[in-house]
Amino acid sequence: MKTIPILAALAALAGLAGLAGLALTAGCATNVNTVSRAETQATPTFVGDKRVITDASLGGLIRIVSVNESVVSGNLKKVQVVLENAKNNTRAISYKFEWTDQDGMATNSIVQSWQSLQFSGRETLTVSSTAISPKAVDFTLKLKEVSKIY
Amino acid sequence: MKSLRILACTLAPAVFFLTGCETAPTEAKYVASDSTNTIVSLDQINIQDWNQAAEKMVASLLTSGVLERAPQQPSLMAISRIINNTQQQIDTDSLTKKIRVALNQSGKVNTTTTMGLGGNAEDPMAKEAAQMNAMLSGEKQKTTLPYYTLSGKLIEDRARAGSTRQVTYTFQLSLTTVKDGIAVWEDEKQITKQGKKASVGF
Repeated sequence: MKTIPILAALAALAGLAGLAGLALTAGCATNVNTVSRAETQATPTFVGDKRVITDASLGGLIRIVSVNESVVSGNLKKVQVVLENAKNNTRAISYKFEWTDQDGMATNSIVQSWQSLQFSGRETLTVSSTAISPKAVDFTLKLKEVSKIY
Repeated sequence: MKSLRILACTLAPAVFFLTGCETAPTEAKYVASDSTNTIVSLDQINIQDWNQAAEKMVASLLTSGVLERAPQQPSLMAISRIINNTQQQIDTDSLTKKIRVALNQSGKVNTTTTMGLGGNAEDPMAKEAAQMNAMLSGEKQKTTLPYYTLSGKLIEDRARAGSTRQVTYTFQLSLTTVKDGIAVWEDEKQITKQGKKASVGF
């Protein structure tokens, strides 16, 4: 006799979870439509990248579209990463670039810190970083979902 | 009892997900100044705001191509007036020092500490030592004039809709060549925060 109310409570919980899931996946109507030149005139230098996914959830939400680099100010590397929100709802992430030199030593600068980034649904955004030190040759882009402590 | 165990096992993950992985700190602890665990306020410029503004400004300045035009590398820069038009009392070095350090590390720009606004040297001891050295050696004091000056303004804009508050801090900077007074580089970074109360983490 006691199991019936418990089963009913579980069913109600499942129903609520379903509704919450529906609300999350439906999201608000914030998708971004774009228009651009059919054949791009830019000739970016793309970089082959290595990806380490430790948060599978984030990996499925934010897609890395491309990575390209250039040299600025004569001898400083600049890297740009194009990110795409793979979902229809708005999303916020944090990101940070780190640089390393020829010997693999970190050349972290005073102005490299975690920054926030807000996406509309299906929006594509670019993040970039300029190496402060001429010795910097390699970069790492760190991404994580926004997680307020409270 | 078995059903209760099943219920407990079902609810435990739900409670975990609802509360999140981290909990609010009740006792003081250290957090990295460049982390995402810092406090986000609606009534002041936070540490992460200074960091973001400085990073954006340094990247903009380095990619502008302006610094290579200076006849001498590294070129010399002096810090001019940074006007604070916000409601809070701030030390503008929170922004300018980060920019100075980054430009110094890049090898593109050095900053003079013996020449300041209104004749006030940032390092008066260095200025006096140079004067003393010139007097003792009998030589005329050699003064290197800065090639650039850095000036700027901090602006605050507030808005409210019901109980939701919004504040926008605008960081404006200009790099001027001393010889002709032309601003050869200028940029602006805006940071907008919205909410009802301060929070921990972003």
